[in-house]
Amino acid sequence: MGVSFMGEDLKRTIRALGFLSTVGMSMVFAIAIGAGIGYYLDKWLDTSPWLLLVFFGFGLVAAFKNLHRIHKKSKTYFE
Amino acid sequence: MEHHYYFITEILAALGFEHFAHDWQHVTHSWFIMILMIVGAVFLAGGIQMLPKKGQNFLEITIETLENFMVDITGPEGRAFFPFIATIFLYIFLCNLIGLVPGFFSPTANINTTLSMALCTFVLTHAIGIKFHGVKYIKHFLGPVWALAPLMLIIEGIGHLARVMSLTVRLFGNIFGKEKILGVLFGLWGLYLVPLPILFLGILVSFIQAVVFMLLAIVYFAGAMEEAH
Repeated sequence: MGVSFMGEDLKRTIRALGFLSTVGMSMVFAIAIGAGIGYYLDKWLDTSPWLLLVFFGFGLVAAFKNLHRIHKKSKTYFE
Repeated sequence: MEHHYYFITEILAALGFEHFAHDWQHVTHSWFIMILMIVGAVFLAGGIQMLPKKGQNFLEITIETLENFMVDITGPEGRAFFPFIATIFLYIFLCNLIGLVPGFFSPTANINTTLSMALCTFVLTHAIGIKFHGVKYIKHFLGPVWALAPLMLIIEGIGHLARVMSLTVRLFGNIFGKEKILGVLFGLWGLYLVPLPILFLGILVSFIQAVVFMLLAIVYFAGAMEEAH
């Protein structure tokens, strides 16, 4: 159906590559955002260092959750 | 800061908007891209016919390829959001490419431009989720176990913010890097064709980053449309 410039295989590979190239970034940013939220909450509530540690943990969990979701999606969309 | 010569900035400066033009180069250049897209659309698709001529043919192939690309992932119910996806792809692609023309600047090499597009994608993703699931959309954020729901809310929130940030920073970083390398190489060896390989890589990066941004927007939309588990 339709017009396409490239074969199906190549298209699928490019799509999967583009999607999987997000793995690293989404992990790093989840941890960084978690730690950032913790840091500023600590500053605001004066509870250093507890919230930083707790939110760093949340960030870690979020990072691995992102990883898991990417894995699941790459199965549904790219196989 | 080094001084580059940009046509749009110089034209606006000549018209008396010197401060504005120097401080908001990414804004004036993205206006230029918008004008380019509107004029291009009117020029290419004005007077649509059943038997397409050159311009209309070109546009039809572009749009159809993008549409197939999207429908492959979201399924046919995603067609309603196709205008956003196509706009974002064409806009980013043109924004990236204009930086390769001497005397122009990539609006996407400024983090504000990319952040604006990432935020649009973010808001539209959740609007789609609410449209498709109503109040039940919150289930996407709560996870399977009720006792852990508040925790999951925080964790999913962080995950969604990370999406916005990675969309923003990826596009910005790639294009900013390209612009800087080109700027340095043109400054140092511009006369001797040294920037040529980087120009070639710039075309590649421009295309890949536009495709990746569009692909991620599509995947996020598809994620908002599917049922929570």
